[in-house]
Amino acid sequence: MKKLITALLGASLLSTPVSAQSAWTGGDDQPTSPLACEGESPAPEPGEYNGGTPTDAPDRNGQEITVVDIPKLVGVGYFASTASGMQQAVEELGNITINTDGPTRANIDEQITFVDNYITSGVDGILFAANDPVAIAPVLKRALDAGINVVGYDADAEADARQWFVNQALPNGVAKSMMDQLASEIGEEGSFAIVTSTFTTPNQARWISEMQAYTEKCYPNLTFLETVEAQEDNILSFNQAQTLINKYGDELNGILGMTSVATPAASEAVQQNGLCGKVSVVGLALPNAMKPYINGDCIKSTILWNTVDLGYAAAQVMRQVADGTLEPGATTVNAGRLGELQVVNQSQVLLGAPKVFTKEDINDFDF
Amino acid sequence: MKARSFHGVSSIGQEILLVVVILALFAVVGWINPRFVSENNLTSIFVGNAYIAVAAIGMSLVIISGNIDVSIGALIGVLAVISGLLVTNGYPVWFAWLAPLLIGAAINTLVGCLIAYARVPSIIATLAMLSILSGGLITFTGGQWISGLPGAYQLAQFRLLGVPSPIWFMVGMTIIAALLMRYTAFGRSVYAVGSNPEAARASGIGHASTVVKVFAIHGAIAGVAAVLFATQLQVIQSTTPVGLELVIITASVVGGVSILGGVGTVVGSTLAAILFAAIGSSLIFLNVSAYWLRAVQGVLILATVLADMARRRRTG
Amino acid sequence: MTRILIRHETILAILFVIALFLMAAQSDRFLTTANLLNQARLMTEVGLIAIPMTFVIVTGGIDLSVGSIMGLCAILVGVFWQNAGLPLPAAVGLSLVAGTAAGLANGIIITRFRVPPLIATLATLALYRGLAEGISQARSVRGYPEWFAQLGQGQILGIPTQLWLFALVAIAGIFILRFTTFGRTTYAIGNNEAAAEFSGLPVERTKLLIYTASGFISALAAIVFVSRVSTTRSDMGNGIELEVITAVVLGGTSIFGGRGMVIGTLIGLCLMQILQNGLSLAGVRGDGTTVVIGAILIVAVLISNILGRFSND
Repeated sequence: MKKLITALLGASLLSTPVSAQSAWTGGDDQPTSPLACEGESPAPEPGEYNGGTPTDAPDRNGQEITVVDIPKLVGVGYFASTASGMQQAVEELGNITINTDGPTRANIDEQITFVDNYITSGVDGILFAANDPVAIAPVLKRALDAGINVVGYDADAEADARQWFVNQALPNGVAKSMMDQLASEIGEEGSFAIVTSTFTTPNQARWISEMQAYTEKCYPNLTFLETVEAQEDNILSFNQAQTLINKYGDELNGILGMTSVATPAASEAVQQNGLCGKVSVVGLALPNAMKPYINGDCIKSTILWNTVDLGYAAAQVMRQVADGTLEPGATTVNAGRLGELQVVNQSQVLLGAPKVFTKEDINDFDF
Repeated sequence: MKARSFHGVSSIGQEILLVVVILALFAVVGWINPRFVSENNLTSIFVGNAYIAVAAIGMSLVIISGNIDVSIGALIGVLAVISGLLVTNGYPVWFAWLAPLLIGAAINTLVGCLIAYARVPSIIATLAMLSILSGGLITFTGGQWISGLPGAYQLAQFRLLGVPSPIWFMVGMTIIAALLMRYTAFGRSVYAVGSNPEAARASGIGHASTVVKVFAIHGAIAGVAAVLFATQLQVIQSTTPVGLELVIITASVVGGVSILGGVGTVVGSTLAAILFAAIGSSLIFLNVSAYWLRAVQGVLILATVLADMARRRRTG
Repeated sequence: MTRILIRHETILAILFVIALFLMAAQSDRFLTTANLLNQARLMTEVGLIAIPMTFVIVTGGIDLSVGSIMGLCAILVGVFWQNAGLPLPAAVGLSLVAGTAAGLANGIIITRFRVPPLIATLATLALYRGLAEGISQARSVRGYPEWFAQLGQGQILGIPTQLWLFALVAIAGIFILRFTTFGRTTYAIGNNEAAAEFSGLPVERTKLLIYTASGFISALAAIVFVSRVSTTRSDMGNGIELEVITAVVLGGTSIFGGRGMVIGTLIGLCLMQILQNGLSLAGVRGDGTTVVIGAILIVAVLISNILGRFSND
């Protein structure tokens, strides 16, 4: 009878218990390229430049320039810290001003309107983190046509709609860090669930797909349970993590947090349930938000690129693009205090591999 | 007084319906997966959503008085941030708990005056407040989260007699509000104003002052909800929760509060808030594919409302 | 004469002109044909939906599900075209049909089952958005052909393509509400639904048609939007209902029904758009603009209330 009801409820609505082939919920359908299980993978060749070029841009070399930074949304710690990195670069360079302005919700339409208004107001450069790579492309192309320098960071647009993209970490690199860390904490035969923002967020969807590919290759005995959505909402993330813990009980060994909102909230759920050490939380989060849990020995690590550095590098790249010193075909970029950054994927500047923060070093960082 | 007994009957029916649905849900899902009715999960369903139930109490008063408030989500966000900033800047914990109540009441008194005396329709006044509060919050905080909250501040994590404090607040405030609405002159005037403002004015019930009082109480209750919201985790987000106002309004109306005013009780809205929380949790337990979760929620809301309408037509 | 002067629409028009001058004084890039046409392009989706929403609110109702219908129809264009392999025009047609059906369903729930519009559309807001998410499985459909992008990105006779469409809908809206028996019935329902029913007006049918039209136009807005951004996502149109309602009530339509004009909605819409654009050009950040729009909404209603009271005395 129980089975009958479950089956009745089932028809199309239920996610059938996971068979090895079925895609993880929340992934996208782009091709994946998992890294090698052990050791370093060789860096890919940058290839030929495929970014765009502004039309009739004035000579901005060494000139004072005004740049606007349009993140996915304002009002979250993540983009507040990238903005602070940009301001560090502003102080260091002296001949660039950057204003951060953007929608209060991660909304494609509002973001387009922001870009549009700044094109009209006549800025010299636009830094962006796209809510949707395709939707934002036409308006960015208009910016290039108007002679504005366009550089992306954090979330890319179509390549020909911007000049360069500062990539915080390659998706397969993020996937490897997350899954290696998870496997080291729960063993290679544990079960885990994922808490993400929404299924439509491109970065998260990309990482989930890469994580699946890497897991099938390197940790075939890990069991994926399910993915739940929690928006960019603290309390909802907490409630969803709590529900996962209640639902699976001992069966659940780990929770993967895909956003800087979900990971601390999941850690809080683990701590409040007294499951420290029994359920691991591995995920992307700002060190500051994770300090209470890591210093309290409840959670072992948090994974992230340095978001302040990401903003800093984006501002440095913008300055060099405006100066004309960063040209198509370059293989490295000199990014101030960060040293030489590598060029990958034709027109992307790579910040580096994602960093795993642990109790040893997390207190050295403040962002 | 004939009118009041009619309201009583119709909303008691809705409350019984909700209790039956909630029990049935717990029984069926608990039968399929016993962990759903474990103490842990019941606690998290109630605790994690108590602030919604609390806010829905105030919303019910507003709707019974014939008004609406779409700014509630933004108000809770603003009050939570104020509370967090106070405590991290060294003010005593009790003050950080109390301030949101007072500020919430003050802000909403202003809104109530706009509605009652300047005759700005409540949906417009609160739509404008939604813009002002949510925009102002970002301008003010610049998007930084508030962390480093002291342990003594975490009101929502306290327990009394083994029961988490949010549950005490939810139950206690529901009972107080229900008694207030049923047995006091103020409660009767709220129903009177909502069901027929012209008649209320004619019979000498202070229409405008009742509306202002309702909004002031609603603001103070939002302050309580904000404190519960802010003290649940160790960080406070400085954006307003997206769509929270819709969740709260839905809880009120599904709880039997008529959007036309004059009808409903606060007990129903609390039950409805519990029902929604339980539905959200049960869908995960039933393995409903997360992609379809919101569609299922929509169908359930619609079914509840249609059942209520059918029942009302039979009895009325 | 005084009657015309103190109309809400007149006050709004004056506010609009003042705002126009203030903005133009702040930035010399504001009052240019290119900027204004571009702003018009950006406001088309909200504007389209605001026309039937004016009718809905004049009857004393509300439709919160428009943003979700928009998301659902956007997804359906992609699904019909790419997953079902239909030609794009057929996919667009079917999506319009689906939007119309969604609006019709709203109408049936509201008229046949007598569910108050706010609750009915609150429920379908969740339902339609949920369908969009479920059907799309959160996948985007991209790569639309060049000709399809013309609707959202191209222009005819120097004017953005979608503006012609918007003008057509707006003129139809003005005409129907002002000069037809249908329009008079709409006002009658808003003034006193019971009385309208007593005097033999087709109340149910009128409301049904209005909610259906709201669904159809929301689908149309979805098509325009998909063409403008050349991708489909299930979160499209999220929260647009509040923008639409703000434009309509700012335009002087009474939320209690019975009063309002399409022309007022148009002015309200333009006022919002030039404020957003003008303030941004003047260097005000987005969150500041949001605050200003909220304040303007209250001020506009306050002024018209105060003047309205004088005229009554």
